[in-house]
Amino acid sequence: MIPVEDIRARAKDLLQSGKVRAVLGYRRSTAGLLAEPAFMTTADETAALVLDPTCVGNLALYLVNEKKRMKHARQSDKRPLGIVAKGCDSRAITVLLQENHIRRDEVIVLGVSCETGGMIDTRKLNKALRGKGATSAHFEGEGGVRVSYVGGGTILPGKDVLADRCLECAKSYPLDADFFFGEKVDERPYGPRFAAVSAIAEKGSEERSAFWDAHFERCIRCYACRAVCPMCYCDECVVDSTNFIVGPTTSADEKADRVRWINRSATPSENAMYHMVRAMHLAGRCIDCGECERVCPVNIPLRLLNTMLEREALEMFQYTPGIDAEQPSLISSFRDGDPNDFVR
Amino acid sequence: MEAILKRNRLGQWITELQERAEIYAPDFVEDTWEFAKVGRGATVELNHSNTVRPAKRFVFPQREVLYRFRIENSQSPKLTDTEPKVESTVVFGVRPCDGRAMVRNDRVFTCGFSDPYYQARHDNVVFVGLACNAPPSQNCFCVSVGGSPHSEDGLDVLMTELDGRYHVKALTDKGSDIVRSAGDLFQDVKAADMDDVGNAHAIALEYSQRSISSMEAVAAALRRNFDSPIWDKLARACIGCGACTYLCPSCHCFDINDEVTNKSPLTGARVRTWDNCQFPDFTMHSSGHNPREDTGARLRQRICHKLLYFVETHNMQQCTGCGRCITHCPVGIDIVKIANVMEEGVWQ
Ligand code: SF4
Ligand code: SF4
Ligand code: SF4
Ligand code: SF4
Repeated sequence: MIPVEDIRARAKDLLQSGKVRAVLGYRRSTAGLLAEPAFMTTADETAALVLDPTCVGNLALYLVNEKKRMKHARQSDKRPLGIVAKGCDSRAITVLLQENHIRRDEVIVLGVSCETGGMIDTRKLNKALRGKGATSAHFEGEGGVRVSYVGGGTILPGKDVLADRCLECAKSYPLDADFFFGEKVDERPYGPRFAAVSAIAEKGSEERSAFWDAHFERCIRCYACRAVCPMCYCDECVVDSTNFIVGPTTSADEKADRVRWINRSATPSENAMYHMVRAMHLAGRCIDCGECERVCPVNIPLRLLNTMLEREALEMFQYTPGIDAEQPSLISSFRDGDPNDFVR
Repeated sequence: MEAILKRNRLGQWITELQERAEIYAPDFVEDTWEFAKVGRGATVELNHSNTVRPAKRFVFPQREVLYRFRIENSQSPKLTDTEPKVESTVVFGVRPCDGRAMVRNDRVFTCGFSDPYYQARHDNVVFVGLACNAPPSQNCFCVSVGGSPHSEDGLDVLMTELDGRYHVKALTDKGSDIVRSAGDLFQDVKAADMDDVGNAHAIALEYSQRSISSMEAVAAALRRNFDSPIWDKLARACIGCGACTYLCPSCHCFDINDEVTNKSPLTGARVRTWDNCQFPDFTMHSSGHNPREDTGARLRQRICHKLLYFVETHNMQQCTGCGRCITHCPVGIDIVKIANVMEEGVWQ
């Protein structure tokens, strides 16, 4: 277990010395089991910082959102942001660096290892508890996870509670951190990479199509999956009809001629279009933080779409996103040896 | 009208009702509770925690076609009426907070002007409520906003589960009708049954809920703090998605768009879809100016609409304390906490 005091002390020091304008970390939430994002700007606030298997969220999103926010801020504080990052979160930061969305000196990474196994999956908990919300969850080593809910408690095996992405995680610690907390554990006791998507991919196309039709029909297009994704940073999203950018200089013609790629109605065909386009735009970029799937209120297994493309990128181009900030990104690079001659 | 239904007869009641109506009830779909159509012979358990999506979609679906249009050779458009022809529907397992939300939705859609689409659906749906003997969500706070775990408002029938049986109370004509039509399944209510109902309701009130101590104080604080910097702080983590409002049983904002299906002749439909005050384009002017420019302003709108503006116009909160916006917010933004912070006025 990583002593949380160490992280608090570091965060406090960064704030006191004025090296950062804020530290992004986690704190307990009044809303439920999962820890919530904390934007700490004073040393006192660091006392509330927590780190445990409920710190599920990927805070790299806020590097993107803060950049957007600072664009409009009257005075901009140019100091970097401190950020607590797990392995997957740090890969997201690295992709943002690969894509020149942020600069390395704009962040100070407080990297943490997921040495205890990984993060809780609330969907799995819901399944085990038939929808009763869990109020606490504690790892008890080999024994599993002790879970309590209003009116009772139980112990569940780790793999029934940990997120699939954690079970399949290839590097459960950050490769690029300014400060590092915990042990770098390379042996993972769980399943192989791509286990979940491989199980679906091997089914016939009709079965897969029926599987996705049934899921897309349930999507309410709340756009939580897109809003939470650190890679979905575009100011304007082609498949989100709700965030057209209109500025003072947008002409009447531009407004009138705006192509609406999909309708606002959350019908199966529009939903399918939305998800397919989003998945394609994440190929070679998604670092499998699992946030899109976690936040979906109706439990659409979005991770399967993204890991499928991650698998393709690996198999076809031997490419893994988010492991090296100097590596050119998959979409913006080509190789002389590419099998397709239209590229060369 | 009140009656007793043995637990093992619930299935039979539903089967009889299926002769004349579509039946919906909570089902555990994809590891969440959802109102789902009940197939012939399927078992309905009524032991659900709160459904992810509320019951509002039975009267206010996410997509409603208002009319169809067709324009031929630059003649004037031909419009075709599409007022919904709704199947009779009975929805079981509606929690009292969703029932009370229906009262709010009625205010919006039927007072002063009656929305024909909403009304047509409303006329054909029967809401069968289920009293909460224990809180169905850890974020319930119905009592703080004037409700109760056995509120009858907005429901057609209220069922209370007792040992091995249900107490079934019809509250409207539609409600009496579905009880009377299966009269032989029910038994008369005895004094002992009423004692049990009283007990169940009393026990339900003893469970601790999330709480807001004074709604008046909260409303006053919201009025005072419109321009407070606290909103930016409270909304700092908000990702601006649509989860909180789409899942709210009383959020009712909509957008209207033309969906073109053919270019020549120009054919399509004018449709109404749910809209959402947390999306950036909700208040976007065509000039590009957006009066609710950031998540702070949008969160303020959502909270103030629920706990202040609706009170000013309709004399009731627009929130019924179901807790969905809290449970399903990806980043823990919590209307109860916000109300308490506002009331106490403790922030830097
Ligand atoms: S979060 Fe879920 S319901 Fe919302 S848009 Fe994404 S897939 Fe659809
Ligand atoms: S697509 Fe999903 S898993 Fe991939 S980076 Fe975005 S939120 Fe994370
Ligand atoms: S505002 Fe939140 S708690 Fe209140 S009725 Fe809506 S979803 Fe439920
Ligand atoms: S409050 Fe939560 S659910 Fe609502 S828009 Fe913000 S992040 Fe989404």
